[in-house]
Formats: sequence, structure tokens, C-alpha cells
Amino acid sequence: MKKFLAIVLAAVMALSMVSFASASSLAGEYEIKVWVADAIVDLTEAQIKRFNETNEDGITFKATIEKMGEGDAASNMVQDVEAGADIYCFAQDQLSRLLTAKALAKLGTKAAEFVTANYDADSAKSVTVDGTMYAYPLTADNGYFMYYDKSVIPDEDVDSLEKLIEDCEKAGKYFSFDLKNVWYSAGFFFGDAGCTSTWVMDADGNAKGVVDNFNSDKGLIALKGMKKLLDSDCWNSSSEVSAFESNSAIVVSGTWGSSTAKQILGDNLGVADLPSYDIDGTAYHIGSFFGFKLMGIKPQEDPVKNAALNKLAQFLTGKECSLERHASNGWGPANLEAQADEAVLNDPILAAVYAQKAYGQVQLAISGAWWNIGNVIADEAKDATDEEGLKQVLVNYENKINESLKLDANALLFVGAWNGWNNADEADTYYFKDGALTLDVPESDYMGGRIVKPADWGTDKGFAQVTTGAELIKDLGADNPDNNIVFAEPGNYTVTWDGTAITIVKN
Amino acid sequence: MAQLSDLEYLKLSKGRRLGYKVGRFFAKIPQATLNAFQRIGGALKSGVTAIGREAKDIVTTFVNGDWKTKLSYLVMGFGCLARGQILRGLLFLLFEIVFIGYMILSGAYWLSMMPSLGKVGPTETYDEIYDAYVHTYNDNSFQILLYSVLTIFFIIAFIYTWRVNIRQNKEAERILAAGKRLKSSKEDLHSMVDESFHKTLLSLPLTGIIIFTVLPLIFMILVAFTNYDGAHDGYISNLFHWVGLDNFNTLFSWKSASGTQSYAATFGEILSWTLMWAFFATFTNYFLGMFVAMAINKKGIKGKKLWRTILVMTIAIPQFISLLYVSKMFAKDGIVNGALMSLGWIDKALPFWEDATWARVSVILINIWIGIPYLMLMATGILMNIPADLYESARIDGANPWQQYTKITLPYMLFITGPYLLTSFIGNINNFNVIFLLTGGAPTNPAASSASGSVGYTDLLITWLFKISTGAESKYYLASVIGIMVFVVVSIIALIVYNLLPSIKNEEDFQ
Repeated sequence: MKKFLAIVLAAVMALSMVSFASASSLAGEYEIKVWVADAIVDLTEAQIKRFNETNEDGITFKATIEKMGEGDAASNMVQDVEAGADIYCFAQDQLSRLLTAKALAKLGTKAAEFVTANYDADSAKSVTVDGTMYAYPLTADNGYFMYYDKSVIPDEDVDSLEKLIEDCEKAGKYFSFDLKNVWYSAGFFFGDAGCTSTWVMDADGNAKGVVDNFNSDKGLIALKGMKKLLDSDCWNSSSEVSAFESNSAIVVSGTWGSSTAKQILGDNLGVADLPSYDIDGTAYHIGSFFGFKLMGIKPQEDPVKNAALNKLAQFLTGKECSLERHASNGWGPANLEAQADEAVLNDPILAAVYAQKAYGQVQLAISGAWWNIGNVIADEAKDATDEEGLKQVLVNYENKINESLKLDANALLFVGAWNGWNNADEADTYYFKDGALTLDVPESDYMGGRIVKPADWGTDKGFAQVTTGAELIKDLGADNPDNNIVFAEPGNYTVTWDGTAITIVKN
Repeated sequence: MAQLSDLEYLKLSKGRRLGYKVGRFFAKIPQATLNAFQRIGGALKSGVTAIGREAKDIVTTFVNGDWKTKLSYLVMGFGCLARGQILRGLLFLLFEIVFIGYMILSGAYWLSMMPSLGKVGPTETYDEIYDAYVHTYNDNSFQILLYSVLTIFFIIAFIYTWRVNIRQNKEAERILAAGKRLKSSKEDLHSMVDESFHKTLLSLPLTGIIIFTVLPLIFMILVAFTNYDGAHDGYISNLFHWVGLDNFNTLFSWKSASGTQSYAATFGEILSWTLMWAFFATFTNYFLGMFVAMAINKKGIKGKKLWRTILVMTIAIPQFISLLYVSKMFAKDGIVNGALMSLGWIDKALPFWEDATWARVSVILINIWIGIPYLMLMATGILMNIPADLYESARIDGANPWQQYTKITLPYMLFITGPYLLTSFIGNINNFNVIFLLTGGAPTNPAASSASGSVGYTDLLITWLFKISTGAESKYYLASVIGIMVFVVVSIIALIVYNLLPSIKNEEDFQ
């Protein structure tokens, strides 16, 4: 009897849902809490008001808007998700922390399609973790570049780190570059030095693996470049544009400092991408992170409210609102239509951001622990006295990553010609899930690669371990000292590693 | 070291007297430890006998009591009601009803969940119609832990009240048997402002202390035995569970990968700096503050009020503001370095906050600047209280100022301010403000910093705890373990020093 009742109830529920679904009305009044940066509180309030008036779904939000810096949103959310905002802005580096705290609602299928279609491709990638999107891109300008005082720094010197240091030392001025924060110091490693650090994250915000080659010859070059600045008396570890007031001639900072910098320096303000440093006669351009500000929605128990919040987020990150934020605060939009707008295209500060982006690494989800591990690089490097010391810094860095993150013992990556050997952007795609991986091998001269443990480029898993499917790969004999697996033909393959042997199947 | 008689002691030279005192201190430690254990053992033993006595009394009361008393074992307050003490009886009965009601409605649930701290975690399902992920939140480990502790408190309170109820029955029987009259409800009420007035007054503070101090304390201690952190908040992200002593093992394990330092080593380093800091911060302030007070108090100094006012001004500005400001002043590009450089005294900035030793000395010096005014105020009052005739007779006997200071001023000050010194030492161990606002722990200690947060050379245990609980991983459980360790350190120091204080040992000296 009970079972029967349950079936009837379930059927009634299902029916009622279908009947409502056809209407799928979102109409109603919702009380929400919104966290945005201080600078856009009033603007956001006006925008939400406009949303209430113009939306076609009959949604009315009674919004309480609270100011919350994008850098602080995560720590406040993590402390008490229940009391946190329903919709909030945060900087991309906090994504994994928010995932850990389960403070972000996954985007539904249609919402994800919307993001892919309407926003900057890199920004769409930056909100994706383990194949799922978690937020709407708000801005695509979270990078850093160089503000300088033209009265101290001649324009022709801005391309050379050595000359800039010399200029500052001569003038008794400071070169402010917040190297004690790895978000900035990683710039030396990215750029022309060519290091990468890309994380494979899971939906809980845990690191499953990392492709990181800071501890390499390339990393050593980067560290030598950084050391030049660290060893100079003119180095000041700050990213506050207000440092211009306390004797700095150069400040490496982001778009958020532009109005303050203009106020302090007036016509003497110069803006440029970061300089190059010279190691053994080669110039290496300093890279940077290129990050995003995102707008996330707190997980909801009510699907209707969640859907309504999605509408609001789409509106707030849409063309019109993005352009308003650009006009009032100079924020570079992530929305494609807004990016194509004249005003955005002609913005000199955004031009510096995009010039620097060419040397940047797009910031994807990164394990929260990495920031703690990386922040000490500059301190350690400053104390190092010789090349061995610098090498030790990198070894320590790698050890800490391996130890502290307790990387998934089964985490494996298949790197090779198909992803540029270390093309970290695609790390997620070449990651073994439960010991198996399906990949496309495109036509090329050398269709080879090898299975590596993230952060460990050991050559112990490769050709020699292939037990099934040996006919699909080439036997190069002595020409293959690195134990690489080289496919005979392009195609789609499934590769399985069971702990002792590799099985290859062509699909 | 054997104890010497007074005569033998006085024969010793100054240096040997000091050696003798130090030797005696260490010689006493084993005996003192043994005594402490004996005292604990004695306390336990008397506790057990007390419980046994109570149990025996409960049984004998039941056996010897009349039917009203016997029924009171089940229905609290029945005896009182039956004997005409309506108010008492009703209160007992009400308490029992509330207790049973609470236990049935929620207490039993919390207690049953306590061993697991929650069984069903949060779930997530996709709602195709609204294209939304719907979350349901189920058990709440945090609430379970909190309310089960509360329930246990309630049960203890109930047992105690039940016991009181029995004792009252016995008492009532005794009074009636002696042919006397029991107190009426009116008299009971009256007694609350008369002979039981202390209970009336104390009931509110006591309840407050239990709810706002003892309960959170026990809750926080229990957190050290769980895996409560950012990824296990107990409700939204994941449930948290008991992990036994794992967290203590983490803190006290010396194992670690190369390049990273174990928690135990980091803890040791921070603890030693914390104690060093507490020592210097306390005594530099104490002696310099006293010195300033004496200097201002000296006869012939003009403008005493002016000097005092100037010093007190630093108290008037909130520490929060002045510390942040001073921190900026001494930064690499701050005005102190700027001024020194433009004067040509130095050609590169002094590393006030960049170098470990510089930073440590700087925080101690700046702390002196903040602390002296308080000490000066306090010392001024005490110094003025020392009878002038002591100094006068000392002068007549030919004592020089230094002798006067060591023989009169200092003993008197130490006697009065001994307990203050102790509390300020403890306060400095937990001096979060000064360190956090001045340096934030900087400069970073790369070896000790790990994935769970950076550790600096000026970090105290308390700022480290703060960083761990607010860091990337929000390890509340580890913070709780450190909190417990701070408590252990503080209580050991407090107990030892308290018993050595002249104000405790020689209570009569200056009376």
C-alpha cells in the first residue's frame, strides 16, 4: 500500500513538474544578497534596478548590496557559506578555494553554452574545472603591467630590466614589484623563459596533478633574472600604486591602479608592458598572469531562484553592464560584444594589458596551496648567494608541491607532440581518469609522447611497458632513448595504464 | 643541593648565594612535580569517594524514606508537593518535564548523532527544467557537535537537580520527624533575597559563564579531535568526523619532505620566539616604564604634569591606528628610511621588516614605545605610595640611590605588581595586535612556510594560529590543537611563576 502511494505521489509530482515546466515561470520576488567591489556598489544597484524593470520573466530582486573586494570574497564565503552572498564577484585565483567550500553553483547545460557563446574564450576556460563551468566571466583584464614615472625613467629604457634598475638606483628611487606574491613573481617564469605551471583540478577544488617545470634550466634563467631585481637596493615589494608617493619610480600593478596613478603622476605617468632581462646575451621578456574577475552564484536549494540568479548574472556580465563598468571604472570586459566596442578598443591602459597578455599565461584554476608555496620563492632567492643556491630554491619549490599537495598517486599525463609536450593549457585533456585516457593523435612528423607523473618527467613509463597494441606503435629501437611511445598512424586512441603495463586500443 | 641553614647561607659570597638559589630551584623541581602528581592523585581519590558517598546516600535515602520520598525518585518534586512545598515541587516537576521533553524532541537525536557527527552529507541534483543544480543540505556536523555538548551539559544539570530533589526529601523527612514545620513557598521566595541571596546573585553570571565561556571552550577543544576545515565545514561542503589524535600527531611529527619543515620543528621555532618576545616585551616595558615614572617623580623635575600628559597621549590614540601607521613608517620606502637617507646618514634603506633579527628587535622596541605609558601610570601610583621614611632612614644609614632602588623600590614594586607581571607576560604570549599589525609575521621564513600558509620570523603562536585558520585551507582543527598547546604552555608558566611570586609567598611582608 505504501509503495503504491509512493508511486502515485511520485507520478503526481512528476506531472505537476511537467505542467509547470511548460510555463517554467521564474516570475516572483527574490530576496538576495550581492557582493561587489566598493567601486561598483552604486552602479550595480542601478543595474539590478534596471534588470527588475526590463526583464521579460517577471523577476524582481530585492537585493541587499554589500561591498566586498574581489580578493576577499573567497575567505568570507569560506568562513560561512550560509551567510554568504547569493551572487558575488571574485578574482579567478580564488576559484579552487570556493570549490573546496562548495560555495559555487555549477552552471547548467544551457548556461554553460551561453558562456561559451558570449564570452572571451580564455575567460570561458578559466571558469571551467574538470569539464564543468562554475561562474560567469566578469572582466578580462586581471593582469599586471608597468606604471612608471616619466620624469625619472626615459622612454627608451622601458624594455630593459637592467636599464630600469640602473635608472632607479641612480635616481635613488624604488622599483616596486610585489615579488613576494607569486602572482607577480611567476611572471618571470612565464614570459620568454617559457615555464608553465598548470593544474589539473577536480570539482572539489583538489589538485589531481600539475604540469610544472619551474624546476628546470628555464626556471633557473627566470630566477637569475628575478635575482637581478631582488639584489638591487631599489627593489620594493609592493604592488600599491600609491608607492609613487613614497619614492617609487616604477610600480608593477594592474588596471585597478590606473586612476590613482594618474592622480599622483599626472602627465608624467607612463604605461608599458613589462621589460626584458638579459641572461648570457639573450633577452627574456617578463611574462605575467592573465586572469579574470568572475561572478559566481551560491548553491541554492530552490531551482527557480537559481535560474533567476543565472538570468541576473547573465545580465550583469552582459554587454551593456560591462560597458558601463568600463566607462566608470575602466574595467576591461570579458563579454565578446563589449570587447568589440570602440571605447574598449581605444583604451590605452587596456592596450598595455593586452600587449602584456601576449607574454602571459592565462590563469586557470590553481590549487590554493600553490600561492603559499610560491610566495616564498622571492625570499629564498634573495638569500641565495650563488647558482647552486638558486637551484636549491627551485628544488625546494618542487618538493613542497609534491609533498604538500599529496598529489593523487594515480595522476598521470600523456604529453607528446599532440600537446606541444608541455602545453599546459590542455593538461586537463591529457589527464588519465581512472587509469585510462582517450586522445586524438593528429598527423605530424613525430607522433610520439610519453606517460608522465605530473611534476615528474620520468621516462619509466612508455614504449617498453606497452603489452597490448604494440602493433599500433613504432619500434624505434636505439633511436628511442627516452622510452617514448610513437604512434604509427594518426587517429583516436585509448591508452590504459594499470600500474604495470600499458594497453593501447585504436578507436 | 642540600638546604643550608640561615647562618651558613649568610656566610656565602654574593655569587655563591645566587648559585645556591638557582641550584635550589632546580633541586626542588622533582619534589614539586611529585607533589603535584600526589595532589592530583589525592584529588581524584577524594572525588571517587565523594561519588561513592553520594551513591550510598541515594540508596539509603530510598530504603529509609517514606513512599513520598520513594516516588520522588521517579517524579521529581513529588515529595515537596505532597508535603505542601508547592513552589519547590512545581519547579522540580517543571524541570523534569522540560528535560524529558527536550530529550525526546531533540536531545536524543543530537546524542545519537554525536559518535558519527552526521551520516548524510549534502547532495546535488540537476534540474533539467530550470537548467539548475539543486542542492539539499542534510546533517550538520557543526550543529551536532554543538548541541550534543549542550545536551550533555543539560543531562549533568538534570542529574544534579535530581540529586538535590532527593536530598531535599531526606531533609524534609528529618525536619518533620523532629516535629518542626517545613518552609512555605512564600518563605522560599523570601529566602532568595535573604539567606540564599548569594545564589540569586550568582545564578545569572554562572549561567552566563557556562553558556558563553565553558561551552565554547569545550566545543573548541573537541574540534581538535575532528577534521573540521575549509573542505569539511560540516554542512555545505562535507561533513566532518572524529579523527582521534591524528591532529596532535600531525603537529608533533618530525617527518617531512625535503625542502619543507615538519610542523613540530616550526612549532618549536615559533614557541621559542614567542617566549623570547614575551620575556623582552614584558620586562623592557616594566623596567623602562618604572624608570620613566621615577624620573618624572624625582624632586626638582619641572612640568611633571606635562611630561605625564605627553606620554599618556600615546594611549589616547587607538593602538590599531598607531601600529599600522608605525608599520608604514618603518617600511623600506617609509618616512624613517626616507628621512635618514635624505640626511645622508645611510645610503640604503635599513631592513626594519625585511631581516629576521632587525624585525624582531624592531617589534620589541616599538612595543616599548607603546607600553611605557601604561607602566609609567601604574608605577607612578605605586611609587608615591612607598613610605618616604623608608628612604629617609636608608639615607641616614648611608645607602646610595642604587641600594635604595634595589632594597626598597624594587622589592616593593615587585611585591605589588607581581601578579601584573605574570598577566602581562601571558598577555604578551598572546599579543596578537602588536605583531599582526606591525609585521603580519614578516619576514617570511621560507623553510617553515608550506602549502597551508606562510610562517614568518616574527610570528607568535597566536598569529600562526590565525594564519592557519584563515589560510587557504582553513585548518580549524590544527588551529584548535595549537590553541590547546598555547593553553598548556601558558598554564605551566602561570602555575610555576604564580607560586614563586613574592606577593603570594610572603603575603605579610609589606602589610
